[in-house]
Amino acid sequence: MQMLPYNVQCVRNGSEEYYPETSGKKSIQKKRYGRIRGDMARFPKKLSSAWDGVKNFSRFVLSIVRSFRSIKYLRFRSLYSIVVNQTRFTGVDALPIIVSIALLLGATVIIQATKNFPKFGIEGFIGNLLVIIIARELGPLATAMIVVSRSGSAIAAEIATQQQNREILSLELMGVDTKLYIVFPRIIASIIAIFSLIIIFDIIAFFGGYLISLTTVFIPAKSFVQTLLDAFSFSDLAITILKSVIYGILIPLICCYYGFMPRSNFQIPIFVSRAVVRTLVILFVINAFISALFYF
Amino acid sequence: MSDSNDILRFEHILYYREERTSLNDVTFTLGRGENLIIFGPEDSGAEIVCPLIAGVTDQFGGEVIFNGRSIKTFNYVEMHNYRKELGYLQRDYGLINNMSVVENISLPLKYHTQLTTGQIGDVVNRLVEDLHLGYCRNMRPVSLSGAAILKTAYARAIALDPELLLVEHALEGQCLLNSQTYMRHLRTWASQPEKSVIIVTYEPERFIDFSDRFIMLYEGEIVFAGSREDFVSQNNDYLRQYCASSVEGPMKVL
Repeated sequence: MQMLPYNVQCVRNGSEEYYPETSGKKSIQKKRYGRIRGDMARFPKKLSSAWDGVKNFSRFVLSIVRSFRSIKYLRFRSLYSIVVNQTRFTGVDALPIIVSIALLLGATVIIQATKNFPKFGIEGFIGNLLVIIIARELGPLATAMIVVSRSGSAIAAEIATQQQNREILSLELMGVDTKLYIVFPRIIASIIAIFSLIIIFDIIAFFGGYLISLTTVFIPAKSFVQTLLDAFSFSDLAITILKSVIYGILIPLICCYYGFMPRSNFQIPIFVSRAVVRTLVILFVINAFISALFYF
Repeated sequence: MSDSNDILRFEHILYYREERTSLNDVTFTLGRGENLIIFGPEDSGAEIVCPLIAGVTDQFGGEVIFNGRSIKTFNYVEMHNYRKELGYLQRDYGLINNMSVVENISLPLKYHTQLTTGQIGDVVNRLVEDLHLGYCRNMRPVSLSGAAILKTAYARAIALDPELLLVEHALEGQCLLNSQTYMRHLRTWASQPEKSVIIVTYEPERFIDFSDRFIMLYEGEIVFAGSREDFVSQNNDYLRQYCASSVEGPMKVL
């Protein structure tokens, strides 16, 4: 085997080419060219693996839909404790962090609005701004992000560990429909928890934020509440419900999907991290899509 | 040979795993009320018998027939209902780690039956008492001893009072003394005329007092099949080598 000299840097692409590092512009250009060519060569592969991922996820969703065939044999009392525990973990246990973030975010928005709106002569629109920023966008999105990072990661890690401990196999061997038993109650719990958390987030952000902002600016409470009520519409509530249902379905679904993926203990952190990152990306896309659909 | 009294027929099973033959044309039957011990060295194919009976995969040749019907013909719902009829004690027990002993045992009852909470409690309490699990009834698997894990998994496997119990290498690595409660209960359970048991093990001699038939597998094929008397008399080179754990004989030692 021919040894490469000490200062040789290897740029590996699909065709295993090596460019020895020598001084001069040409070699740098060659290196860059090699990297770009390597990235381009990998692009179709990445695209195809992303497409495979979408197909696998669709198959997973389909398998859950198909598992509803056995729902008539399901005794809901066996799911009750899972729903309660998951709702408590996703909803109740997340309250301190939801309250803190809502307070800080609400205060920031209100302080910025009350300080800057008078400059443009639009101080009468503070309520509208709060509804647009907090109720429509930040509330659901921040809540979903907190739920993904707390509960989504926990769901993926729990299922992956159960899979590696062969607990899921033992459920299957007992005749338990694991798709229905594991995924379905988590979806129900997430919908309940996310909807409640969004409402709590919005209320805390509005009123807690208002109280904090009183330290820097004064707005009469009556006019603050009135502007909020004037700005709120039925569609805002409907879209909040829609978002909580969509997030409540997607978060456990994607995290369960990645929870079922690891084939060894070593892969568990990889798939947990993948579950969190990809769920977040998908949430942002869905949020933008819903906003475009209903408000554009 | 088969007759209508057979609860299970394992017919000409061919199973390949990772391009190796795990089972090669293996055929046996299990009569109602019969207790069968399947044993053999590692990689003999014995370890795949219980998963195939439980329908973990349908990628095999031949037929597994349970109560006269091939399990390959079961649809999604029928497969779940079929598994309800089996008790399966896995090699690694598969207890749910975030559930206590009592919750683990009551899980199949809550999921599959229409018993009231009180009736489920009665069944669970009886099993807990019979298997001496009272001291750890509210403990989770992580705090349990090996014998308590074995007994909890066994109690869960028989909670639905299945017709056929599959026991897969459950006794290996267990304390001989502490597993006696389990052995005693299994012996009583298996002696019921309508209950059948298949035990896959490396230590067939431990089940000799309540087993009706023995099958030994080697390299995916049956190399010995016989009654308890045949097993004791050891008129078979494979059986003799296995029981003596000898390197001399027809089997290659890995």
